[in-house]
Amino acid sequence: MPGLRLLFVIIVSAALIVADHQFDRVTPVRSTLATGLTPVYWLGNAPYQVSDWVAGLFTTREDVKQENADLKARLLILERRALKYAALASENNELRRLMNSSELLDDRVIVSEVVGVSPDPYSHEIIINKGSSDGLQVGQAILDAHGLMGQVVQTSQVTSRVLLVSDSSHAVPVEVVRNGLRAILLGTGDSGTLDLVHVPDTADIREGDLLVSSGLGGRFPRGYPVAEVSLISKESGEPFVGIRARPKAQLNQSRLVLVVFSPNGEPTAEPDANEDTPPTDPATESTQEGQS
Amino acid sequence: MLSVISYPVFVLSVIVSLVLSISLFPVGWFEFRPEWLGLAVFYWTFRAPAQFGIVFAWCLGLLLDVLEATPLGVNALAMGLIAFLVLTIHQRLRMYPMPQQCLMVFLLLGINQMLVHFVKQMLGGEDGGFSYLWPALTSAIVWPVFCILLDNINRKLG
Repeated sequence: MPGLRLLFVIIVSAALIVADHQFDRVTPVRSTLATGLTPVYWLGNAPYQVSDWVAGLFTTREDVKQENADLKARLLILERRALKYAALASENNELRRLMNSSELLDDRVIVSEVVGVSPDPYSHEIIINKGSSDGLQVGQAILDAHGLMGQVVQTSQVTSRVLLVSDSSHAVPVEVVRNGLRAILLGTGDSGTLDLVHVPDTADIREGDLLVSSGLGGRFPRGYPVAEVSLISKESGEPFVGIRARPKAQLNQSRLVLVVFSPNGEPTAEPDANEDTPPTDPATESTQEGQS
Repeated sequence: MLSVISYPVFVLSVIVSLVLSISLFPVGWFEFRPEWLGLAVFYWTFRAPAQFGIVFAWCLGLLLDVLEATPLGVNALAMGLIAFLVLTIHQRLRMYPMPQQCLMVFLLLGINQMLVHFVKQMLGGEDGGFSYLWPALTSAIVWPVFCILLDNINRKLG
């Protein structure tokens, strides 16, 4: 009798594994179960929150005041930078509009908190506390304060699972900021190193170069810092150089992350601008012709 | 064999082992984390083979699959296998002294981990040597505490 049940269980499991891995058919089931397991995620995160709370009990008033003053000073600096940035961003958008480019730079982000990490030591995944009820979808990019962290691979009602750039199954199309050289950055399974692959021997790349997402795959937004080249090893006879890079995002430490919403959801402003500009183009052309 | 089984204790132990599966140990120690849900399945099929069996273990494994984001069915299959093996040997297991029970825990959870690792590798996971067997060892080490603790709670509340 147990043997029969075991046989039944084996057959059902095999069917499930194949359906999940080959045909991706069980995502709704998984999503429903994950929603049901939300309390477990929450409890799993509770020790951190308790330790935060206990640490909060034992900070002195002076420390808090000092920290507050530091934060205010920092806020001032950042605000000044933001002012400058806002002017530059609007100028940039204006220039892009003039060039009829369909791409606007401002991405909408929401802040989310890391509530868990994958218990499997061989996969680099984290769980964040925003889900499909907040509008998250599979494929969205996740940032922290320093750079690109990864992408959403699975959503439930109130939590999502994020694959980090350091996972060995992850790849990001990047470019070197200094000269625009394009390459693919692969995860290695080690959270401190990434591999830049298929870079020819003669390419202009140096240690310390910043790699930003190139936006070419259509999955990651363009221009976010991903990693910094840390080691270049040239071996004669090899067609490509071996390049190691260190991720900019603090993959192991960040508690707060940003979820990026690409501005594809609001293209209504763009076509208007495009429709406005074409009539002016022939006009300017004709005046130029007239002048020449 | 327990005379009475306290179902609240069962539910609580399952929830606690699910929470422990994704928490507690700091990053970097995941490799050595005991297979808590495997221990719970082992304990309950061992103590109450009439009530808890393969299908139950399979359902719990399915929850672990969702938590660990493995393809649905991998851990479920391995948990079902543990339950089956415990069911076949539970009468002998009860005669064993504690050290020998620990050895059986190591063997059975080792089989569980091997099966999980094997299926993951077939689906394209990476090879981590034999380090996937650490959970079986740590589970065997915590088994006496786990077993005696649950026995005591069961006796008080059951």
